[in-house]
Amino acid sequence: MTFWIVLGVIALIVVWLIALYNGLVGGRNQAQTAWSQIDVQLKRRHDLIPNLVQVVKDAMGYEQETLTKVVQARNAAAAASGPAQSGPAEAALSQATRGLFALVESYPQLKANDNVKQLQEELTSTENKIAFSRQFYNDSVNGYNTRRQSFPAVLAAASLGFGPMELFNMPESEREVPKVALR
Amino acid sequence: MATTDFVAAQAANRRNTLLLLVILTALAAVFGYVIGWVLEGELRDAVVFVSFAGLVGAAVLAAASVIWSGISLAFGDRMVLSMADAKPIEKADAPQLYNVVEEMSLAAGVPMPRVMVMEVDALNAFATGTSTSHSAIVVTRGLLQTLNREELQGVIGHEMGHIANLDTRYMTVVGVTVGLIALVSSMILQTMRWGSYSGGSSSSDRKSSGGSAILIIVLLVVAVLAPLAAKAVQMAVSRQREYLADATSVRFTRNPDGLISALRKLEAAAGKPFPGVSDATQHLFIVNPMRAMTAKTTALMATHPDLESRIARLRNLGA
Repeated sequence: MTFWIVLGVIALIVVWLIALYNGLVGGRNQAQTAWSQIDVQLKRRHDLIPNLVQVVKDAMGYEQETLTKVVQARNAAAAASGPAQSGPAEAALSQATRGLFALVESYPQLKANDNVKQLQEELTSTENKIAFSRQFYNDSVNGYNTRRQSFPAVLAAASLGFGPMELFNMPESEREVPKVALR
Repeated sequence: MATTDFVAAQAANRRNTLLLLVILTALAAVFGYVIGWVLEGELRDAVVFVSFAGLVGAAVLAAASVIWSGISLAFGDRMVLSMADAKPIEKADAPQLYNVVEEMSLAAGVPMPRVMVMEVDALNAFATGTSTSHSAIVVTRGLLQTLNREELQGVIGHEMGHIANLDTRYMTVVGVTVGLIALVSSMILQTMRWGSYSGGSSSSDRKSSGGSAILIIVLLVVAVLAPLAAKAVQMAVSRQREYLADATSVRFTRNPDGLISALRKLEAAAGKPFPGVSDATQHLFIVNPMRAMTAKTTALMATHPDLESRIARLRNLGA
């Protein structure tokens, strides 16, 4: 009798471990997929920005401080890797791009340019995509971290090889209205 | 942040929908049982309390609703899209719409749905699909020309919410069950009318069967009431899903104002049926294309909650 009870308890623990393991794998994979989505959008933004800078430069006929800043921020962001490094670099780039948009707004001949309009929509959308995939990534990471830290999962998660995952934070400065120096 | 409220609302809605599905299937089974029960009573000329034929009838109707659901789940979206005459578009045709759909699919963490346009001036949109990886979002040309980016994002977020919450699938199953019940009840009513014309003399021959007369009345009442009850349940599910999709949209965009402003514009232009819309598809759209939903029309049979209730709930989410 005691033998069967012990066997039953062991079987229950094994089933629980399997369920825990599979749940954590699912959560981690979801977060990793979400991270690769962010990565795709970040790269896309790094590719789009030089085009916009070029078109603006051509239309204005001279280089502008705002443009130099955008290019610098873009190069710094492209060199960063991983959530911890990319976060601040990408936030700085977002701010620089907003400066570029504000510049475009103040030049009617730029605003009316079809190429600029198209690039602006693409860049706006890419910014949104970064924000939305970041939102989904962070929700996924939160879900995963909460699950592995909850009792009783916390007893086994670390020994099964499930470490905590990093959130992707872009500092709040991204929300500030950029200052535009005209000329 | 109100994130946990959304999660709770979503879980509650999933439970409600499941419960409603169980009720509908049970309704179909009870209906089948009553049919079998009456038939057996007629044949044996007596009221039986546990009817074998009734059990068979219940099993048959429940099975039929499951099979029909399966077929609809496999082909339903294609039928809806061809009924609406929606045409797929490329990114170059409407870059902003395409981008917004892509943004919302990232926010929802689901694969990119197909993007389609209905060439009508009305302002409306709907989503269809059998799973999150096999879905489509359809908007009208009028909507594309009228809404700004923020409003478009709210509307697409609502449709993406239907896809992420699997509403399209639930509503297909619910719709099929309701259709099945309506079909069977109209068959019964037809048969009884035919029976009363041709079998008038035979029933007077069997004056003793007072029990079976009661059974016939029971069957008649069930045949009339069952489709109405099923329809009311279907509409209740539909209204719940609209609220949930609104909430999910705000969860994606974190911006209730875009959807509120879009709903106002859509509702102001609603109430004029356009080509590609019928009674069978009206519940799919973001606002009912057949008639405007005011507080008075939000009765038992309304497909959508009224505008002010939707906006009030959106405001609560934003606060």
